[in-house]
Amino acid sequence: MAQRLRGLRIGWLLFLSLYLFIPVQSVFAQAPFYQGKTITIVVATKAGDLYDLYPRLLAEYLPKYIPGSPNIIIQNMPGAGSLIAANYVYNVSKPDGLTLGAIYPTLYFEQLAKKDEAKFDWTKFNWIGSTIRSNNLLYMRSDTPFKTMDDVRKAATPPKCGGTGVSSTGYYMPKLFEETLGTKFDIVSGYQAGADVDLAVERGEVQCRAFTITSYFAREPFISWRKRDFVRVLIQTGAKRDERLKDAPTIYELMNRYKTSESGRRLATVVLSGGDFGRPIVMPPGVPADRVKILRDAFTKSIQDKDLLKEAQKRNLEIDPGSGDELQSLAKEVVAQPPDIVQRMQKLLGQ
Amino acid sequence: MLEAFLSGLWQVLAWPAFGYLLLGIAIGFWVGLLPGIGGLATLALLLPFSYNIKSPVAAFCFLLGMLAVTGTTGDLTSILFGIPGEGSSAALILDGYPMSKKGEAGRALGAAIMSSAIGAVIGALSLALSIPIMRPLVLLFGSPELFIITIMGITFIGTLAGSSLIKGLLAGGIGLMLAAIGVDPQTGALRYTLGALYLWDGLDITPVAVGLFAIPEIVDLAVRGTSISNVPRGKLSGVMEGVKDTFRHFWLVMRCSLIGVYFGVLPVLGANVAQWISYAHAVNGLKDRSRAGKGAVEGVLGPGAANNSTRGGDLIPTLAFGIPGSGSMALLIGALLIVGLQPGPEMLKTRLDVTFAMVWILIIANLIVAALCFLVLNQLAALTFIRGSLLIPFLLFLVFIGSFTANNNLYDLLVTLIFGFLGYFMVLYGWPRPPLILGLILGKMGENYLWISTQAYGAKWLLFPSVIILILITIAVIAYPTIKEKRGKARYERPEDAI
Repeated sequence: MAQRLRGLRIGWLLFLSLYLFIPVQSVFAQAPFYQGKTITIVVATKAGDLYDLYPRLLAEYLPKYIPGSPNIIIQNMPGAGSLIAANYVYNVSKPDGLTLGAIYPTLYFEQLAKKDEAKFDWTKFNWIGSTIRSNNLLYMRSDTPFKTMDDVRKAATPPKCGGTGVSSTGYYMPKLFEETLGTKFDIVSGYQAGADVDLAVERGEVQCRAFTITSYFAREPFISWRKRDFVRVLIQTGAKRDERLKDAPTIYELMNRYKTSESGRRLATVVLSGGDFGRPIVMPPGVPADRVKILRDAFTKSIQDKDLLKEAQKRNLEIDPGSGDELQSLAKEVVAQPPDIVQRMQKLLGQ
Repeated sequence: MLEAFLSGLWQVLAWPAFGYLLLGIAIGFWVGLLPGIGGLATLALLLPFSYNIKSPVAAFCFLLGMLAVTGTTGDLTSILFGIPGEGSSAALILDGYPMSKKGEAGRALGAAIMSSAIGAVIGALSLALSIPIMRPLVLLFGSPELFIITIMGITFIGTLAGSSLIKGLLAGGIGLMLAAIGVDPQTGALRYTLGALYLWDGLDITPVAVGLFAIPEIVDLAVRGTSISNVPRGKLSGVMEGVKDTFRHFWLVMRCSLIGVYFGVLPVLGANVAQWISYAHAVNGLKDRSRAGKGAVEGVLGPGAANNSTRGGDLIPTLAFGIPGSGSMALLIGALLIVGLQPGPEMLKTRLDVTFAMVWILIIANLIVAALCFLVLNQLAALTFIRGSLLIPFLLFLVFIGSFTANNNLYDLLVTLIFGFLGYFMVLYGWPRPPLILGLILGKMGENYLWISTQAYGAKWLLFPSVIILILITIAVIAYPTIKEKRGKARYERPEDAI
């Protein structure tokens, strides 16, 4: 009897302890890392810049897809063509998965050109993803004799293209065409902003400008310009012709036609990869792999979120995402270049 | 045309557009008052809120209404404390703050608000009147012409120099040299960056202006140990006196408003330059030049009108070409896109009423804020009679917040301190500070336009008729005070001869 009672008691105890155990387990079970935390996205431009609008849009939708739905805030850190933000994210911010950077896609140029100011290794950033891939085009005033890139090749006096500074597409794209296609452009740089170049084109001070296809279709003055055939597009830099620009050849088609050398092609790939990096979001090196994965997944999911896409359309922000994995391998590719390419890069960037 | 003009007005006055306008004004009031927190940054922050406003006019009431009043209330901070409330209000410190010291804060505030309101109306009317001739007007000025205009601006350094021309020219030269700091946009060369990434973009105007003008005044206030005003409240301190001043110098206010419109139309230049040019113009016209910088009300009226009228001018290139005339216009275009409007030549044809609504927003917002200001001006002016030791911590806080928000960079504070130090000694040894700022602002622009002109046209641009005309105007501007002085003397001497 006593035996049975004791057995019963032990049974009860076991039973009770089971009850005790369950809540204890769930208390000690790890709460999601991001719960109650705040993620900062360091944006490399001033507030309100087009570069700034994408991270701000993301910040509204990312938390939904991160376990623990953390707060996300934007910190603008403009200056030195995004180098300040990139150096900060890479060197100063803690690799705890709570700092992200929205930096310029072509900063690897600085690394390739071996600039001391670039205090990062492009390949070691943890790439989270990119909201949009952006290819470029070159427009030319229609009332000039330059109807094709062939005309530019044969021109006695080269056309004048406007740009803001040596690190702008307005400067290095025409340079790249010179290097790979044998065209000649006179580059007039020093304009305050892209809009000032457009105004100079309208006035006839310069005749051409290279910039992104996205902007060409999103904004004035280009909408009016296209209506009155004020400019024509001579070349585009995507692998395939853009749906909306069926008549303009790609740089790759022209490189085939003009039998560009292997080293020239390589140079083109390196420079144009900037378009594939698009508007990248990165984390510093050394962030625990599981947190990188959480953010990459969250990025991929939120960039496909229906509400986000609707909102992006409303705000006139084109979305064409690139995944973190893609960017990670692309980063390795672009940085591994032989010395002759590095030398041509430096020449291209006016050094 | 008239129909669209009136329809624009009704749309602004209709509910909920008018409510949004009031909200925008309320925000803009504080943004302007607080140094550093500028209209541009606030616009960026407000933009997402405008996404949900369905009607384009209502969205614009909110955004443009906010932007339109920042210039007005920014003037108040400059006058009361000697701290520029907005970057474009710095010129008001020169004579506005000395007026506060003389116990005439109310008068200065009244003059600033009234001239701002007139400037805004002139700016808006110019916008409305120029709609048919917008395109040729904007295309008139290419890089060669803009280069000569920056040179014209630089010649005003002589006027701003005050009593000592040599010191003024040297200060201007230092400003021009400081403008060389940063990445050279033509070759990518790094100039005087001392290994600091912060200096790649050159010196930001805000921390420099805040340091140069505000810090010496705060030190001075601490040393004097009194309130900002040296004298007890007097009779001439009234707000109404300032309003009367505006009408006493009505043509000066008109001319400075037009200067503002003109600089608004020109790309890149804008209110930051217009304020100094119109200050120089106002001071140039003083019969007794020694009054400049010691609290001449003309020095408040000129920049007060100009920095508000630029807004109207600013909208002209935006509407004529869909090309933004300034950073804030670029953001406004973004707001219009969201409500499905493409600002530009098309919009002028299809939605002229929206364009006129903008004109009305500029006018109505400024009239409302002027009325609002008059309600509180006497109270604001009373701040200048508070003991300095109570004000100083608050002022220092404003100074450092103001300069830090320029780039969110700690170096901004360092720059403020360095230029505060420099400014203090400049004041101590009688060196004028405005030429330095003007040199810094115009130096970079002038260099770029010279380079662009030469790259685009070789040396041929020197013979453009427009360039030659502008050069002649520049010479006339330089020669005018001397001629006037001589003539004035001649007239003065004649009666004596007769006797």
